[in-house]
Amino acid sequence: MAEFALKIVTPDGLRYEGTAEKLVVRTTAGDVAILPGHIHYVAPLGMGESVVTAAGKKRYGACIGGMVSVANGNVTLVPASFEWAEDIDLERARRSQERAEATLGNADTTDTERKLADARLKRARIRQHVARHKPK
Amino acid sequence: MAGISTKQIKTRIRSMEATRQITKAMEMVASSKLRRAQAQALAAKPYFETLYGVIQDIAATNRENFSPYLKATEGVRPLYVVIAGDRGLAGGYNQNVFKLVQSRVQGLQAGVLPIGKKTVEYFASRNIPAPEIRLPDMTEVTMGDCFTLSKQLCGLFRDGVYDRVYIAYTDFESVLSQVPYIRQILPLESPETERKSGPVTLYEPSSEEVFDTIIPEYVGGILYGGLCESRASEHAARRNAMDSATKNADEMISDLSLRYNRARQAAITQEITEIIAGAKRS
Repeated sequence: MAEFALKIVTPDGLRYEGTAEKLVVRTTAGDVAILPGHIHYVAPLGMGESVVTAAGKKRYGACIGGMVSVANGNVTLVPASFEWAEDIDLERARRSQERAEATLGNADTTDTERKLADARLKRARIRQHVARHKPK
Repeated sequence: MAGISTKQIKTRIRSMEATRQITKAMEMVASSKLRRAQAQALAAKPYFETLYGVIQDIAATNRENFSPYLKATEGVRPLYVVIAGDRGLAGGYNQNVFKLVQSRVQGLQAGVLPIGKKTVEYFASRNIPAPEIRLPDMTEVTMGDCFTLSKQLCGLFRDGVYDRVYIAYTDFESVLSQVPYIRQILPLESPETERKSGPVTLYEPSSEEVFDTIIPEYVGGILYGGLCESRASEHAARRNAMDSATKNADEMISDLSLRYNRARQAAITQEITEIIAGAKRS
Protein backbone atom coordinates (compact mmCIF):
# COMPACT_ATOMS: atom_id res chain seq x y z
CA MET A 1 0.00 0.00 0.00
CA ALA A 2 1.12 3.54 -0.74
CA GLU A 3 2.71 5.38 2.14
CA PHE A 4 3.71 8.90 3.10
CA ALA A 5 6.23 10.29 5.57
CA LEU A 6 4.65 11.35 8.84
CA LYS A 7 6.15 13.32 11.68
CA ILE A 8 4.40 14.22 14.91
CA VAL A 9 6.21 16.99 16.77
CA THR A 10 5.07 18.39 20.12
CA PRO A 11 6.75 20.84 22.49
CA ASP A 12 7.54 17.76 24.60
CA GLY A 13 9.45 16.13 21.79
CA LEU A 14 8.99 13.86 18.81
CA ARG A 15 6.04 11.46 19.12
CA TYR A 16 6.28 9.72 15.76
CA GLU A 17 8.61 9.69 12.83
CA GLY A 18 8.18 7.25 10.00
CA THR A 19 5.78 6.24 7.30
CA ALA A 20 2.03 5.85 7.47
CA GLU A 21 -0.77 4.89 5.11
CA LYS A 22 -3.46 7.09 6.55
CA LEU A 23 -3.85 9.80 9.11
CA VAL A 24 -7.13 10.97 10.59
CA VAL A 25 -7.14 14.18 12.64
CA ARG A 26 -9.73 16.58 13.89
CA THR A 27 -9.19 20.07 12.49
CA THR A 28 -11.19 23.09 13.61
CA ALA A 29 -13.40 22.43 10.59
CA GLY A 30 -13.98 18.74 11.37
CA ASP A 31 -12.33 15.37 10.90
CA VAL A 32 -9.93 15.08 8.00
CA ALA A 33 -8.31 11.96 6.59
CA ILE A 34 -4.98 12.36 4.86
CA LEU A 35 -3.92 9.75 2.32
CA PRO A 36 -0.77 9.53 0.20
CA GLY A 37 -0.67 12.07 -2.64
CA HIS A 38 -2.45 14.80 -0.74
CA ILE A 39 -2.08 18.36 -2.05
CA HIS A 40 -0.25 21.03 -0.05
CA TYR A 41 -2.45 21.66 2.90
CA VAL A 42 -2.45 23.50 6.24
CA ALA A 43 -5.21 23.46 8.83
CA PRO A 44 -5.37 24.30 12.53
CA LEU A 45 -6.30 21.42 14.78
CA GLY A 46 -9.15 21.23 17.22
CA MET A 47 -9.29 18.72 20.02
CA GLY A 48 -9.99 15.15 19.20
CA GLU A 49 -8.97 11.61 18.53
CA SER A 50 -6.32 11.03 15.94
CA VAL A 51 -5.76 7.74 14.13
CA VAL A 52 -2.53 6.77 12.43
CA THR A 53 -2.59 3.72 10.19
CA ALA A 54 0.86 2.30 9.64
CA ALA A 55 1.73 -1.17 8.31
CA GLY A 56 -1.96 -2.08 8.41
CA LYS A 57 -2.22 -1.31 12.11
CA LYS A 58 -4.20 1.49 13.67
CA ARG A 59 -2.79 3.58 16.49
CA TYR A 60 -4.93 5.96 18.42
CA GLY A 61 -3.86 9.21 20.03
CA ALA A 62 -5.37 12.19 21.83
CA CYS A 63 -4.42 15.21 19.77
CA ILE A 64 -4.97 18.71 21.11
CA GLY A 65 -4.40 22.07 19.43
CA GLY A 66 -1.71 23.03 16.95
CA MET A 67 -1.91 22.33 13.24
CA VAL A 68 -1.35 19.82 10.49
CA SER A 69 0.59 20.55 7.35
CA VAL A 70 1.24 18.64 4.14
CA ALA A 71 4.12 19.80 2.00
CA ASN A 72 5.67 17.83 -0.86
CA GLY A 73 3.94 14.70 0.35
CA ASN A 74 5.43 15.00 3.84
CA VAL A 75 2.86 15.21 6.56
CA THR A 76 3.75 17.08 9.74
CA LEU A 77 1.44 17.10 12.71
CA VAL A 78 2.32 19.87 15.17
CA PRO A 79 -0.07 19.54 18.10
CA ALA A 80 0.25 21.37 21.41
CA SER A 81 -0.13 18.00 23.05
CA PHE A 82 -0.26 14.48 21.67
CA GLU A 83 -0.53 11.27 23.66
CA TRP A 84 -0.78 7.75 22.33
CA ALA A 85 -3.60 5.74 23.86
CA GLU A 86 -1.11 3.59 25.79
CA ASP A 87 0.54 6.65 27.37
CA ILE A 88 -2.63 8.22 28.70
CA ASP A 89 -2.91 8.54 32.44
CA LEU A 90 -6.58 7.65 32.85
CA GLU A 91 -6.63 8.46 36.54
CA ARG A 92 -5.30 11.94 35.90
CA ALA A 93 -7.85 12.58 33.16
CA ARG A 94 -10.66 11.52 35.51
CA ARG A 95 -9.42 13.80 38.27
CA SER A 96 -9.08 16.66 35.78
CA GLN A 97 -12.66 16.10 34.63
CA GLU A 98 -13.94 16.15 38.22
CA ARG A 99 -12.06 19.37 38.95
CA ALA A 100 -13.38 21.02 35.79
CA GLU A 101 -16.93 19.96 36.56
CA ALA A 102 -16.62 21.32 40.08
CA THR A 103 -15.40 24.67 38.72
CA LEU A 104 -18.20 24.82 36.18
CA GLY A 105 -20.80 23.95 38.81
CA ASN A 106 -19.62 26.74 41.10
CA ALA A 107 -21.68 29.93 40.80
CA ASP A 108 -18.71 32.17 41.71
CA THR A 109 -16.58 31.17 38.72
CA THR A 110 -15.55 34.04 36.48
CA ASP A 111 -15.88 33.90 32.71
CA THR A 112 -12.20 33.25 32.08
CA GLU A 113 -12.15 30.48 34.66
CA ARG A 114 -15.23 29.01 33.07
CA LYS A 115 -13.57 28.99 29.65
CA LEU A 116 -10.44 27.34 31.03
CA ALA A 117 -12.47 24.74 32.91
CA ASP A 118 -14.51 24.08 29.79
CA ALA A 119 -11.35 23.42 27.77
CA ARG A 120 -9.99 21.23 30.55
CA LEU A 121 -13.20 19.22 30.61
CA LYS A 122 -13.02 18.68 26.84
CA ARG A 123 -9.40 17.54 27.02
CA ALA A 124 -10.18 15.17 29.85
CA ARG A 125 -13.11 13.66 27.93
CA ILE A 126 -11.01 13.18 24.80
CA ARG A 127 -8.22 11.50 26.77
CA GLN A 128 -10.69 9.13 28.39
CA HIS A 129 -12.31 8.45 25.04
CA VAL A 130 -8.97 7.62 23.42
CA ALA A 131 -7.81 5.58 26.40
CA ARG A 132 -10.41 2.92 25.60
CA HIS A 133 -7.93 1.71 22.96
CA LYS A 134 -5.30 1.27 25.63
CA PRO A 135 -4.02 -2.31 25.57
CA LYS A 136 -5.18 -3.99 28.75
CA MET B 1 49.12 34.75 64.20
CA ALA B 2 49.10 36.11 67.65
CA GLY B 3 45.71 36.76 69.14
CA ILE B 4 43.92 33.90 67.42
CA SER B 5 44.05 30.67 69.34
CA THR B 6 44.27 27.33 67.64
CA LYS B 7 40.79 26.60 68.94
CA GLN B 8 39.34 29.65 67.19
CA ILE B 9 40.96 28.67 63.92
CA LYS B 10 39.67 25.12 64.30
CA THR B 11 36.11 26.44 64.73
CA ARG B 12 36.43 28.58 61.63
CA ILE B 13 37.71 25.65 59.59
CA ARG B 14 34.74 23.58 60.73
CA SER B 15 32.25 26.27 59.77
CA MET B 16 34.00 26.69 56.42
CA GLU B 17 33.75 22.99 55.79
CA ALA B 18 30.04 23.05 56.53
CA THR B 19 29.53 25.91 54.08
CA ARG B 20 31.59 24.14 51.47
CA GLN B 21 29.43 21.05 51.84
CA ILE B 22 26.30 23.09 51.17
CA THR B 23 27.68 24.91 48.13
CA LYS B 24 29.01 21.63 46.75
CA ALA B 25 25.61 19.99 47.18
CA MET B 26 23.84 22.94 45.53
CA GLU B 27 26.26 22.76 42.65
CA MET B 28 25.52 19.10 42.12
CA VAL B 29 21.76 19.60 42.32
CA ALA B 30 22.02 22.45 39.82
CA SER B 31 24.04 20.37 37.36
CA SER B 32 21.56 17.52 37.38
CA LYS B 33 18.65 19.94 36.97
CA LEU B 34 20.58 21.67 34.21
CA ARG B 35 20.81 18.45 32.25
CA ARG B 36 17.06 17.95 32.46
CA ALA B 37 16.30 21.56 31.52
CA GLN B 38 18.66 21.33 28.56
CA ALA B 39 16.99 18.17 27.29
CA GLN B 40 13.59 19.82 27.61
CA ALA B 41 14.69 22.90 25.71
CA LEU B 42 16.11 20.70 22.98
CA ALA B 43 12.98 18.57 22.66
CA ALA B 44 10.79 21.64 22.18
CA LYS B 45 12.87 23.18 19.41
CA PRO B 46 11.57 21.33 16.29
CA TYR B 47 8.01 22.20 17.30
CA PHE B 48 8.62 25.96 17.19
CA GLU B 49 10.69 25.75 14.07
CA THR B 50 7.87 24.00 12.23
CA LEU B 51 5.26 26.47 13.49
CA TYR B 52 7.49 29.40 12.62
CA GLY B 53 8.10 28.03 9.13
CA VAL B 54 4.37 27.78 8.42
CA ILE B 55 3.73 31.27 9.76
CA GLN B 56 6.47 32.71 7.59
CA ASP B 57 5.06 30.89 4.57
CA ILE B 58 1.56 32.20 5.10
CA ALA B 59 2.76 35.73 5.78
CA ALA B 60 4.96 35.67 2.69
CA THR B 61 2.22 34.50 0.33
CA ASN B 62 -0.48 36.88 1.51
CA ARG B 63 -1.26 40.53 1.05
CA GLU B 64 -0.05 42.96 3.68
CA ASN B 65 -1.83 43.58 6.96
CA PHE B 66 -4.35 40.81 6.56
CA SER B 67 -4.01 39.98 10.22
CA PRO B 68 -4.20 42.20 13.33
CA TYR B 69 -1.05 40.43 14.52
CA LEU B 70 1.00 41.89 11.67
CA LYS B 71 -0.10 45.50 12.06
CA ALA B 72 2.83 47.80 12.82
CA THR B 73 2.36 49.82 16.02
CA GLU B 74 4.09 52.76 17.66
CA GLY B 75 5.03 50.91 20.79
CA VAL B 76 3.78 53.49 23.30
CA ARG B 77 2.14 50.95 25.60
CA PRO B 78 4.49 48.01 25.64
CA LEU B 79 4.18 44.95 27.83
CA TYR B 80 7.21 43.02 28.96
CA VAL B 81 6.86 39.42 30.02
CA VAL B 82 9.85 39.00 32.31
CA ILE B 83 11.08 35.52 33.12
CA ALA B 84 13.56 35.05 35.97
CA GLY B 85 14.00 32.74 38.91
CA ASP B 86 12.15 31.95 42.12
CA ARG B 87 15.34 31.95 44.16
CA GLY B 88 18.62 33.75 44.40
CA LEU B 89 22.12 32.36 44.86
CA ALA B 90 22.62 32.14 41.14
CA GLY B 91 25.19 34.81 40.49
CA GLY B 92 23.88 37.74 38.46
CA TYR B 93 21.19 35.67 36.79
CA ASN B 94 18.15 37.54 38.14
CA GLN B 95 19.71 40.99 38.26
CA ASN B 96 20.95 40.87 34.67
CA VAL B 97 17.42 40.38 33.31
CA PHE B 98 15.95 43.01 35.66
CA LYS B 99 18.53 45.61 34.73
CA LEU B 100 17.94 45.07 31.01
CA VAL B 101 14.17 45.45 31.39
CA GLN B 102 14.53 48.42 33.72
CA SER B 103 16.60 50.26 31.12
CA ARG B 104 13.88 49.66 28.52
CA VAL B 105 10.82 50.61 30.55
CA GLN B 106 12.30 53.83 31.96
CA GLY B 107 9.95 56.73 31.27
CA LEU B 108 7.45 54.63 29.33
CA GLN B 109 3.92 53.62 30.19
CA ALA B 110 5.04 50.07 30.22
CA GLY B 111 3.55 47.07 31.95
CA VAL B 112 5.50 44.13 33.20
CA LEU B 113 4.16 40.64 33.62
CA PRO B 114 6.57 38.97 36.03
CA ILE B 115 7.23 35.23 36.08
CA GLY B 116 9.18 33.92 39.06
CA LYS B 117 9.07 34.95 42.73
CA LYS B 118 12.14 37.18 42.52
CA THR B 119 10.73 38.95 39.48
CA VAL B 120 7.40 39.60 41.18
CA GLU B 121 9.18 41.08 44.22
CA TYR B 122 11.49 43.25 42.14
CA PHE B 123 8.84 44.89 39.95
CA ALA B 124 6.26 45.17 42.73
CA SER B 125 8.74 47.19 44.80
CA ARG B 126 9.23 49.57 41.87
CA ASN B 127 5.51 50.12 41.30
CA ILE B 128 5.48 48.96 37.72
CA PRO B 129 1.92 47.98 36.81
CA ALA B 130 1.24 44.37 35.95
CA PRO B 131 -1.80 43.04 34.10
CA GLU B 132 -4.07 40.94 36.23
CA ILE B 133 -2.94 37.53 35.19
CA ARG B 134 -2.20 35.04 37.89
CA LEU B 135 0.64 32.64 37.31
CA PRO B 136 2.27 29.94 39.38
CA ASP B 137 5.91 30.10 40.43
CA MET B 138 8.60 29.86 37.79
CA THR B 139 9.40 26.23 38.56
CA GLU B 140 5.74 25.24 38.33
CA VAL B 141 4.74 26.96 35.10
CA THR B 142 3.67 24.27 32.64
CA MET B 143 3.22 24.28 28.93
CA GLY B 144 -0.54 24.53 29.46
CA ASP B 145 0.01 27.73 31.45
CA CYS B 146 2.06 29.13 28.60
CA PHE B 147 -0.72 28.50 26.09
CA THR B 148 -3.33 30.00 28.41
CA LEU B 149 -1.12 33.02 28.99
CA SER B 150 -0.53 33.35 25.27
CA LYS B 151 -4.27 33.49 24.57
CA GLN B 152 -4.65 36.17 27.23
CA LEU B 153 -1.76 38.18 25.81
CA CYS B 154 -3.14 37.94 22.28
CA GLY B 155 -6.50 39.14 23.60
CA LEU B 156 -4.93 42.13 25.38
CA PHE B 157 -2.99 42.95 22.24
CA ARG B 158 -6.02 42.74 19.95
CA ASP B 159 -8.05 44.92 22.33
CA GLY B 160 -5.29 47.52 22.22
CA VAL B 161 -4.53 47.42 25.95
CA TYR B 162 -0.90 46.92 24.96
CA ASP B 163 0.40 47.70 21.53
CA ARG B 164 3.58 45.70 21.75
CA VAL B 165 4.50 42.59 23.66
CA TYR B 166 8.05 41.63 24.47
CA ILE B 167 9.53 38.70 26.28
CA ALA B 168 12.60 39.13 28.49
CA TYR B 169 14.45 35.96 29.29
CA THR B 170 17.96 34.59 29.64
CA ASP B 171 19.35 32.92 26.57
CA PHE B 172 21.24 29.75 27.32
CA GLU B 173 24.29 30.11 25.09
CA SER B 174 26.40 27.54 26.83
CA VAL B 175 27.07 26.21 30.30
CA LEU B 176 29.46 29.09 30.84
CA SER B 177 27.59 31.92 29.17
CA GLN B 178 23.98 33.04 29.67
CA VAL B 179 22.85 36.29 28.12
CA PRO B 180 19.72 38.25 29.05
CA TYR B 181 17.65 38.94 25.99
CA ILE B 182 14.55 40.89 24.97
CA ARG B 183 12.53 39.71 22.02
CA GLN B 184 9.42 41.16 20.44
CA ILE B 185 6.55 38.70 20.19
CA LEU B 186 3.65 40.88 19.07
CA PRO B 187 3.05 42.28 16.55
CA LEU B 188 4.85 39.78 14.42
CA GLU B 189 7.61 41.32 12.39
CA SER B 190 6.63 40.93 8.75
CA PRO B 191 8.99 38.69 6.84
CA GLU B 192 11.23 40.41 4.33
CA THR B 193 10.80 37.80 1.64
CA GLU B 194 8.65 38.65 -1.35
CA ARG B 195 5.71 36.58 -2.49
CA LYS B 196 7.08 33.23 -3.54
CA SER B 197 5.85 31.43 -6.59
CA GLY B 198 5.84 28.03 -4.95
CA PRO B 199 3.18 25.35 -5.07
CA VAL B 200 -0.29 26.49 -4.07
CA THR B 201 -1.19 25.42 -0.58
CA LEU B 202 -4.73 24.80 0.55
CA TYR B 203 -5.53 26.54 3.81
CA GLU B 204 -8.62 25.39 5.58
CA PRO B 205 -10.91 27.17 6.40
CA SER B 206 -8.91 30.18 5.08
CA SER B 207 -5.34 31.41 5.27
CA GLU B 208 -6.38 34.31 7.54
CA GLU B 209 -8.09 31.97 9.93
CA VAL B 210 -5.25 29.49 9.94
CA PHE B 211 -2.87 32.34 10.63
CA ASP B 212 -4.92 33.80 13.47
CA THR B 213 -5.38 30.37 15.04
CA ILE B 214 -1.73 29.47 14.83
CA ILE B 215 -0.42 32.78 16.22
CA PRO B 216 -1.55 32.17 19.83
CA GLU B 217 -0.02 28.69 19.62
CA TYR B 218 3.18 30.16 18.29
CA VAL B 219 3.31 32.84 20.99
CA GLY B 220 2.68 30.16 23.60
CA GLY B 221 5.55 28.28 22.02
CA ILE B 222 7.90 31.25 22.28
CA LEU B 223 6.91 31.74 25.92
CA TYR B 224 7.56 28.11 26.66
CA GLY B 225 10.84 28.23 24.76
CA GLY B 226 11.92 31.31 26.72
CA LEU B 227 10.96 29.57 29.92
CA CYS B 228 13.02 26.49 29.04
CA GLU B 229 16.02 28.64 28.11
CA SER B 230 15.69 30.66 31.30
CA ARG B 231 15.45 27.54 33.43
CA ALA B 232 18.54 26.05 31.86
CA SER B 233 20.33 29.40 32.32
CA GLU B 234 19.30 29.63 35.96
CA HIS B 235 20.69 26.20 36.75
CA ALA B 236 23.86 26.92 34.81
CA ALA B 237 24.31 30.28 36.57
CA ARG B 238 23.71 28.68 39.96
CA ARG B 239 26.09 25.88 39.15
CA ASN B 240 28.82 28.35 38.22
CA ALA B 241 28.19 30.52 41.27
CA MET B 242 28.28 27.51 43.56
CA ASP B 243 31.33 26.13 41.83
CA SER B 244 33.30 29.30 42.52
CA ALA B 245 31.91 29.42 46.07
CA THR B 246 33.19 25.89 46.63
CA LYS B 247 36.57 26.84 45.22
CA ASN B 248 36.72 29.88 47.49
CA ALA B 249 35.86 27.73 50.47
CA ASP B 250 38.61 25.27 49.51
CA GLU B 251 41.09 28.11 49.32
CA MET B 252 40.08 29.49 52.69
CA ILE B 253 40.18 26.08 54.30
CA SER B 254 43.72 25.45 53.06
CA ASP B 255 44.76 28.92 54.19
CA LEU B 256 43.24 28.40 57.61
CA SER B 257 44.77 24.93 57.92
CA LEU B 258 48.17 26.42 57.27
CA ARG B 259 47.59 29.01 59.95
CA TYR B 260 46.31 26.38 62.32
CA ASN B 261 49.38 24.21 61.84
CA ARG B 262 51.70 27.18 62.27
CA ALA B 263 49.93 28.21 65.44
CA ARG B 264 50.09 24.65 66.74
CA GLN B 265 53.80 24.46 65.89
CA ALA B 266 54.45 27.79 67.59
CA ALA B 267 52.64 26.60 70.73
CA ILE B 268 54.71 23.42 70.84
CA THR B 269 57.96 25.33 70.32
CA GLN B 270 57.00 27.70 73.08
CA GLU B 271 56.16 24.86 75.44
CA ILE B 272 59.51 23.15 74.75
CA THR B 273 61.37 26.42 75.30
CA GLU B 274 59.56 26.86 78.58
CA ILE B 275 60.34 23.32 79.72
CA ILE B 276 64.01 23.67 78.78
CA ALA B 277 64.20 27.03 80.51
CA GLY B 278 62.59 25.52 83.59
CA ALA B 279 64.94 22.49 83.55
CA LYS B 280 68.06 24.70 83.34
CA ARG B 281 66.99 26.74 86.32
CA SER B 282 66.49 23.79 88.61
